[in-house]
This record gives sequence, C-alpha cells and structure tokens, in this order.
Amino acid sequence: MSVFYPAPIERLIENLTKLPGIGRKTATRLSFFLLNAKDSYITELATSLVDIKEKIRLCSICFNITDTDPCEICIDARRSRSTVCVVEESSHMMVIESSYPGYFRYHILHGVINPIEGIGPDEIRIKELQERIEKEDIKEVIIATNPNIEGNTTAHYIGEILKPLDVRITRIASGVPVGGDIVYIDSLTIKSSLDNRKNL
Amino acid sequence: MALHKDEAIVLFKRSYGESDKIVRLFTLSSGKVAAIAKGANKSRKRFANTLEPFNRIRVEYFEKYGRGMVRIENADIVETNSGIEKSLKRACTAGFFVEFVDRLTKERERHEDLFNVLAEILEGIRGAEFTYDDILHYQLRMLGILGFMPNFHTCVYCGQAMAADEKIFFSRERGGILCPKCAPSLPHQVCTEGVIEGIVSVQQANGNAAPGFQAVWRCAENGPPYLNNGFERAAQDIMEGFMTFHLDVEFKSYRILKRLIV
Repeated sequence: MSVFYPAPIERLIENLTKLPGIGRKTATRLSFFLLNAKDSYITELATSLVDIKEKIRLCSICFNITDTDPCEICIDARRSRSTVCVVEESSHMMVIESSYPGYFRYHILHGVINPIEGIGPDEIRIKELQERIEKEDIKEVIIATNPNIEGNTTAHYIGEILKPLDVRITRIASGVPVGGDIVYIDSLTIKSSLDNRKNL
Repeated sequence: MALHKDEAIVLFKRSYGESDKIVRLFTLSSGKVAAIAKGANKSRKRFANTLEPFNRIRVEYFEKYGRGMVRIENADIVETNSGIEKSLKRACTAGFFVEFVDRLTKERERHEDLFNVLAEILEGIRGAEFTYDDILHYQLRMLGILGFMPNFHTCVYCGQAMAADEKIFFSRERGGILCPKCAPSLPHQVCTEGVIEGIVSVQQANGNAAPGFQAVWRCAENGPPYLNNGFERAAQDIMEGFMTFHLDVEFKSYRILKRLIV
C-alpha cells in the first residue's frame, strides 16, 4: 500500500531524493525531522542553501570557490608570490593547505585532461594558468594533480606549454607512503619511488 | 557464483559511491565486461594502480547472476599505461582506440583478434607517438575485424574492378568507392586523385613498421606531392563520413585528437 503525504512534504521528499546517496526512505525520515525542527533552524538552513548559490563564485585569479573576489588566499600577503601550486579541484587544495598551510598560492584547474570523457585542455583552466604566469612574477609552478593517467597527462601537457616561459616546473613526488611497508607496496609505486629517489 | 580468471585491457573507469570503482574491461576470453571493484578507491593493497585506463591486467572476477556487472576480486598488472601520459596526442590516440573498442563491441562478445590489436596499439603508443598513418592503419584494421571495412577496391554498386586513377568517387552511404559510370546516379563525395590509393596502401602496410610507420608512397621520391599536404584531411573526411553514417557513434577523444592531427 503506497503512502500519500501532503503535497509540501511530498515535494520536499522528492527534492531530497535528488541528493547523492539519499533514497526515498532516508528522504522521508529527513523530511519529518525538518517538519519537527525549530523555525529558526529551518530559516537558517534555507538561507544557507540560497547563499551557496547566490554568494559563492570562482575567484578570478585562481578559480577557487569563494565568496569574495579575489579569494582570501590570493590576497594573503604572507604567502609566496613566486610559487603557484596547480591542483585539480578546490577540495584537493584544502588537503594540501591542511598539511602545508600558508605557503603557496594555488591555481584550480577544475578537472583534468581525459580524452575518453571528451575533456581536452580547452575544457579546463590551463589557458588561464598560462596567462597568469605570463602576467605575474611566478618563479615556480608545482603540479599537484593525481598520479594517475589523467593527472599525469595533464601534468605533462602543462609542463610542455609552460616550457617556453622562464619558470621552474615541478611535480609532486609519488612513491612509498610515510609509515608504509615495502613488502605491501605495488611494483609501480616502488618503481616510481626509485625513479624519484633523492640524495641524503 | 563462478570465479573467472582472465586477461583484460581497462577501457574505462569511474568512481562509484564512497570507495568503489566501476570499470569496463575488454577481456581476452569474454569480450567486454562491466565490473565493479568494491573498495578500490580506499584499498591501495588490492587494486593499487591496476584499474587505470589502458592498463593490461590479469583479473579475477566473480560473476553472480550470469549477465550482470561482475565483481572484481583481484587484479595484477601485466603492462602498465606508463608512457601514454607523455603527450596529449598519445593520450588522445590511446583514448580513441579504447573508445573505439568500447563503443563498437557488445558485452560478452569474444574478440580475440581485436584484443590483440588493441594490445599492440597500446604497446606502440607507450613507445612512441603515432603518425596519422599509424592511426588510419589501425582504424582500418579494427573496422575490418568488426566487419565494417569500407570497400576501396571495386565499385560498391556494379562490382566492377577499377584502375587507381578512377578511384575518386566515394559513397559513405554504400560504404565504398563508385565507378565513373555509377557515380552520377548515386550520392557521393569526390576525392582528390590518389587519396583512395593512399588509404589502401596504409591499410595494406600490415603495421609491421608501426609505430611511426609511413606509407610507402610518402617516402617515395616520385610520390604525389599533394598527398603529403592534404592526405590527412582528405582521408579523415572519408573515414569520418563513413563512420558517422554506418556506426552512428561520436568518439569523444577523436574530437580532441582531430585538432592534433591536422
């Protein structure tokens, strides 16, 4: 027997099921939680949902998601102006920032070159990176894309187009993880760590 | 629930949910297979680097319901994709051929020949960048294996054998060349003289010299000079028209590759 809820609840359930990982059952549970929640919480939730659409945009310099343009990282005077770290997504930037806070400025590509998905260099922010390096006094570009086929292709492509410019291009290292055990590491990672070994 | 052991080339991968990966594999014994690798994004031990496009792997998978998505249990690398990332053209060429197999084969259709050709292509690209002749040669070879080879030898309407200088009318609808007598009554495109012969010589090259091989006429001193300049564009026109009409698929990687060829 199917259950019919009043139209506003039904609409809310339908909208919640559009969220990733939320099925109808969970959506119904959340809807009843919201129905019984305090008015102040509902107003705040609704305002924050509207705000992320109205106030969040991309920084015109680094293409990070921000509510101010330029973003806080780009206007931070304590950060090195000569080093830019290139990442795939804003979430990757957050991860680097959490372990290496306050050092670099960033450039968010918003994707990686992936021919199988029809994503070429023109579909991501590579041209903007090139223009930025030509305009600003950048001495080093650290490419921190994932070490998989798409990330590596993107890194090689960026390296190729930036070669004519007077800038040092570096790639994040890949190899044995800190605290890892060599016995359990796959052959590709071992190879990469040996290829990228450094002097002590 | 049966456990299968097979060799495969990874055609496609996509993250699914928190930590799973969905992949399409082109296996040696069972053709194209859609598979899920549970926990692949989390566990670096079980699937570390193996389920990446263009990798040739040894795979163990469980098949539960006969024809659904299989569950990958283990995967080891036979040949890595290392080298393909070195240039955009290499990545696009590999992407094009992998997409070619992915889009033009049906699930569970065994194609041992196609598997071997794809493995040969990926091995070639790992070593060097493909010329347009390489790309065209393998494209024709794959079309031949799949039974879509255009007819470049006899008129597709009356069946008459033709001399090289007569091969200038190509009918994409009928999938081959037309003789001067049949051409006026059927839709066709007019090609520069020698282009069709050029395609045939690329097709017949056997790929022995690939990668980086060039059709004989390119190297010949008395070869037609206009072919060296306009051959890629003309051959692409013919192949694109033919493939769009007969296969009705658009290859995403080809859109990018096209810009790098001409």
